[in-house]
Amino acid sequence: MGKSKQIGNHNSTRKKSIGKTWKTKRYTKHLDEIHADMKPSAAAKLLKQEVDYDVAGCAQHYCLHCARYFVDAKALKEHFKTKGHKKRIKLLKDEPYSQAEADRAAGMGSYIPHKTVEVKTQPIEEDMD
Amino acid sequence: MRIEKCYFCSGPVYPGHGMMFVRNDCKVFRFCKSKCHKNFKKKRNPRKTRWTKAFRKASGKELTVDNSLEFEKRRNTPVKYRRELWGKTVEAMKKVEEIKRKRQSRFIMNRLKKGKQLEKTEAINEVKKNIHLIKAPHAGKAKQMEDKMVQKLAEDVEMDGAD
Repeated sequence: MGKSKQIGNHNSTRKKSIGKTWKTKRYTKHLDEIHADMKPSAAAKLLKQEVDYDVAGCAQHYCLHCARYFVDAKALKEHFKTKGHKKRIKLLKDEPYSQAEADRAAGMGSYIPHKTVEVKTQPIEEDMD
Repeated sequence: MRIEKCYFCSGPVYPGHGMMFVRNDCKVFRFCKSKCHKNFKKKRNPRKTRWTKAFRKASGKELTVDNSLEFEKRRNTPVKYRRELWGKTVEAMKKVEEIKRKRQSRFIMNRLKKGKQLEKTEAINEVKKNIHLIKAPHAGKAKQMEDKMVQKLAEDVEMDGAD
């Protein structure tokens, strides 16, 4: 018997089991879905949701770009400073990949290079009082 | 019959092959093989995955803008069958394919030329930098000195002869 494959230590950010993360239960949004969410009309709806007791923080503190709910405004504010959030913003700066782009890459028409999109962290709401 | 293109690698998806994923928002994703589907599930970016067509096009490895690429299109209007037209189309397809292949290979050869040039200049620079490894700094100096001495002696003798 050989040595079992070690996947990082306890602190490593590497995914321990990919199979689990693929489950529908743990499904997270794709980047192009978030791009759709970022449109003003959709964003307004997501940022001002009705009280839902099933979601963390009753769905009142939502990070649009990471598609995550937070317990309170403080946690959300702290989240904006994290590496994960900044990384997400950076990833979102590219135009989302689409089937049309795949078709163009396959030789159906000339390939147009993707553009960059300006993405900014949502403004922090100051209604703590 | 329609041959679709794979969402991830842009390869052809023939009827009855690969798989189709329909997301909650009705968006359709087609994959030519399980490799592509798995990579999609891992949320990999096709533009950054080296083996996909999207990567090769996005990073300028292949011909991207050309008139020969404009023939293949998604045509949603059905054309009535005519034997004559069909024969001509097939012939035209072959010709277009040939031209496309030629242009693409020419593009790649031109792209590689630049690398060869860079390689050459780099090699020359390396030799210039490390010339002391090939040739000792004082190599040939003794011979030069000797030649000079001989020349001087000869000159002296000549001068003496003139007097």
